[in-house]
Amino acid sequence: MDFLNSHILSITTFLPLLTALAVILSPSLGTARWVSLGGALVTFLASLHIWFYFDAQTPGLQFTEIHDWIPTFGIRYIMGVDGLNLLLIVLTTFLTPLILLSVWNIDEKKQKAFLALFMTLECGMLGSLVAFDLVFFYVFWEAMLIPMYFIIGIWGGKNRVYATTKFIIYTFFGSLLMLAAMIVLYVLHFQQSGVYTTNLLDLYGTTAPYNTQLWLFAAFALAFAIKVPMFPFHTWLPDAHTEAPTSGSVILAGVLLKLGTYGLLRFAIPLFPQATATFAPLIVALGVIGIIYGALNAWMQKDAKKMVAYSSVSHLGFVVIGSIAVVSGGAALSAEALTGAVYQQINHGISTGSLFFLVGVIYDRRHTRLLADFGGLAKVMPWFAIMLIVATLSSVGLPGTGGFVGEFLILLGTFMSNPLAGATASLGVLLGAVYMLTLCRKILFGPLDNEENKKLKDLTPREFAYLTPLAVLAVVMGVFPNLFLDKVKPSIENLANNFRNYRIVAEAPIATPYLLGEEHKEMGR
Amino acid sequence: MNFNIPALTPEFYLTTLPVLSLCVGALIAMLQGVSRRLGGENAVFAVVVLSLAVSLAAAVIYSPAVETSYLNGGYLAGVLARFGQTLILIIALTVVLLFRSTFLHDRFLRGEITALYLMIVTGMLVTVASEDLVTLFVGLELSSIGLYALVGYLNPSRRSQEGAIKYFVLGSFAAALLLFGFALLYVATGSLRLSEISQAAPKLLDHNWVRLGVVFSLVGLSFKLALAPFHLWAPDTYEAAPTGLTALMATTVKAMILVLVARFFAGSLASVYHVWLPALMFAATVSMILGNIMALVQTSLKRMLAYSSIAHSGYMAIAICAIGGGTGSFPIAAVLYYLIGYTIISLGAFGVLMWLENQENDNLILDDITGLAKKHPWAALAMAVFMFSFAGMPPTVGFIGKFFVFNAAITNQLYGLVIIGVIGSSISLFYYLRVIVRMYMVEPVKVAVPLAPLRSLVVTGILAVAVLANLALGTLFPETTMKWMVNTSKEVAASPLKTSATGNISH
Repeated sequence: MDFLNSHILSITTFLPLLTALAVILSPSLGTARWVSLGGALVTFLASLHIWFYFDAQTPGLQFTEIHDWIPTFGIRYIMGVDGLNLLLIVLTTFLTPLILLSVWNIDEKKQKAFLALFMTLECGMLGSLVAFDLVFFYVFWEAMLIPMYFIIGIWGGKNRVYATTKFIIYTFFGSLLMLAAMIVLYVLHFQQSGVYTTNLLDLYGTTAPYNTQLWLFAAFALAFAIKVPMFPFHTWLPDAHTEAPTSGSVILAGVLLKLGTYGLLRFAIPLFPQATATFAPLIVALGVIGIIYGALNAWMQKDAKKMVAYSSVSHLGFVVIGSIAVVSGGAALSAEALTGAVYQQINHGISTGSLFFLVGVIYDRRHTRLLADFGGLAKVMPWFAIMLIVATLSSVGLPGTGGFVGEFLILLGTFMSNPLAGATASLGVLLGAVYMLTLCRKILFGPLDNEENKKLKDLTPREFAYLTPLAVLAVVMGVFPNLFLDKVKPSIENLANNFRNYRIVAEAPIATPYLLGEEHKEMGR
Repeated sequence: MNFNIPALTPEFYLTTLPVLSLCVGALIAMLQGVSRRLGGENAVFAVVVLSLAVSLAAAVIYSPAVETSYLNGGYLAGVLARFGQTLILIIALTVVLLFRSTFLHDRFLRGEITALYLMIVTGMLVTVASEDLVTLFVGLELSSIGLYALVGYLNPSRRSQEGAIKYFVLGSFAAALLLFGFALLYVATGSLRLSEISQAAPKLLDHNWVRLGVVFSLVGLSFKLALAPFHLWAPDTYEAAPTGLTALMATTVKAMILVLVARFFAGSLASVYHVWLPALMFAATVSMILGNIMALVQTSLKRMLAYSSIAHSGYMAIAICAIGGGTGSFPIAAVLYYLIGYTIISLGAFGVLMWLENQENDNLILDDITGLAKKHPWAALAMAVFMFSFAGMPPTVGFIGKFFVFNAAITNQLYGLVIIGVIGSSISLFYYLRVIVRMYMVEPVKVAVPLAPLRSLVVTGILAVAVLANLALGTLFPETTMKWMVNTSKEVAASPLKTSATGNISH
């Protein structure tokens, strides 16, 4: 058990990569499918191990793993879990097997390559969630782009090359600027402490001069804002979602975008608190604009998938404003809003994930996603209708679904921080109800007048298998939020109250001594 | 100046064995060129491989810990020299093996050609192991003249001869500038040895002849490194030369010049960094912008890689600029790490091209590789790895190299160069991705000459090694390699930084 506890993060992260190798080496497509599903399920079990053995009382880092990677530069292999990433890790490992089920018998070209890429993507996402060393994080953060690039570019729709190129170049540019900012921070830390390190836990203690902070925060926030995506950096998202295959859209909306908001919470905000306080009004404003703009755009879409894509822009606006709701004169973040933001990340993954799945279900049957082509499906596909309504209500934030808890907490915190922003954002909730219910109405209700729609078959058992867990979870998260929030509370409170001089401690001692600046220089000469 | 007759000890022969072995090989190859009986393809191959292998073995095995100087600085034996020699020899050997497997094998494996080839490598080995300006210039020219000749002669055609002439004319001009710079340095300092120039230079900081000499030398070296605005020869010559030779030019010449630049700018001329720094910063900036933008519009893959190599010279120049900041040998180590990475990636990328080329089509364009993933998935996979690596995506060596270079620059407050590097890299991703898009995401188009990849285990093996080395240096071995590079660059960075008391560095 000791071994398992001290290596569980490496196991969880790299198991998907091993699975990807096994998929490539497996002799037939059938084997490859079972191998990938098996690997994904074992990874899920491993993450459940983390979930159950996670100590909900401490804000510190747990299951820490520290090894040397490039000690000459103070770069290490550091992994850990705290309240901020715990839920996202489980969400990632939870969604992956469902997605594998959803592509189970699609006999597309190069299916084996798809499975291998998908498992590699999972490794990249988990790695960037658990990494606590800047460079180590960056490796996963960028390596993750490669499988996603191929997933959209090879298995996507008609305009896929444009969409995937836009996606990767946008993200790559933002990330490179962040890399430069990381190095600046690294040098600053050395100047202050005489130690070269990219260990995030140590860098939290670095206080950069205010002007430098502004630049560094801007570079970090830009990288994450592109990933979220925040208005006005969102233009790659509708393209990417529209062109991506269903599975790609689900993982993109479910986890990839969350890495942007997670990055804000983990890196940009605690590393540069003064700059955070300065930039907070701007970011909140952009978040609110994103909420309204995304909602209005979603309302006007004729394509169901584009509608869900724009709803993502809108919903993630909530997460952004929740992450950065500064209260008590800039000394603290609103704990309510922060809790809401962390919770809403998961809700959005569940509800939007299932919405994309459901759009995929009707697309598989009709090969069209235009709302005008549908109508009255509730009569021929009752189970589909139930699933869509559950997902919609969860996405809208109806009391009793997870979305309500998240949005309520975010709005509560935002009101305390900035009443105007809170009021405007509430308008977004209203608009959200309008467009999501429009989606529901246009697909499910009205006359069943299209001949082709009359022949549609209801959900197959396989589709049930991947839709039911999501629907159940959406309700469970609404009814028993404390099941989840209790785990993450100490970490969130620690960040909210102490973001000005944020520290987290690792439970395991730092194994090897740091390379001091003098030794470093000595080696250099 | 004293003219001691060198002590011809066994140790001397042992250290110069890498060069001697190639000279002997070249002489034998030349004889093979005139004799029909000795000059069979296999015999020539045996001679060239054997002499390169002996040379490589000698360079690897006999590596003195302390830099020793022979022939009044004409030949150095130290870790940096040995590193340069080893890298160049490995590349040269790889290129020979690649050539043997391609359609050009019967043209390449002839006595007179391999003699020239070995001479090129000899010249490079001399250049990286010399601190005497005349000797290293002779080495430089020996390698250049061989290259001018081979570009036009190896596979003669109108195009390749045009490229050769262009390379020759511009190259001679640059050589003249370089020599002029050396002469000015000699006049100003009274010495041809870099170690003595470095002693003299601080006292002569404001001497205009030193300034001119440094700038002229920089221009000459920039030309060889294909740094803009002295890059004009590179696209034409890279495209005109047979691909194997392009691979050799893109990698060995860079290796040779970077070792030289490390000796020059980190060692001898570190104290006059304020003279060369603005010029080099300018060259780096222009290279990164121009190289990347021009690469965007190329359809010929070799031409695209030529422009990309200009941009990569720019990235390497960033780290060279950082040498002036006084942070010891890390910038040099960074540039050498980048060089190793660049070498692996370039050899790999050109290797894939050689794999796919044939007699009728030896200048592939984007249309040729369209849909490659369907027909030749492994070639496409290898190319994709190299392209991502060129762009600097983790987990490849390209990323770690870029990280070290940016790190060196930021440690020395060269923020502007880093920003330009970031923008350049983002632009570059676009054309590297276009190769991948064509290979993976577009249906094949009809081309005049269909690809018929070689069925050669050697080429496959070399490419597999390149892919694995690429990933290994990006994940498992950055530490070991970087430590090795730090040790390698210690000897040049050590002496002048102690002697020069220039105080704080301002930018």
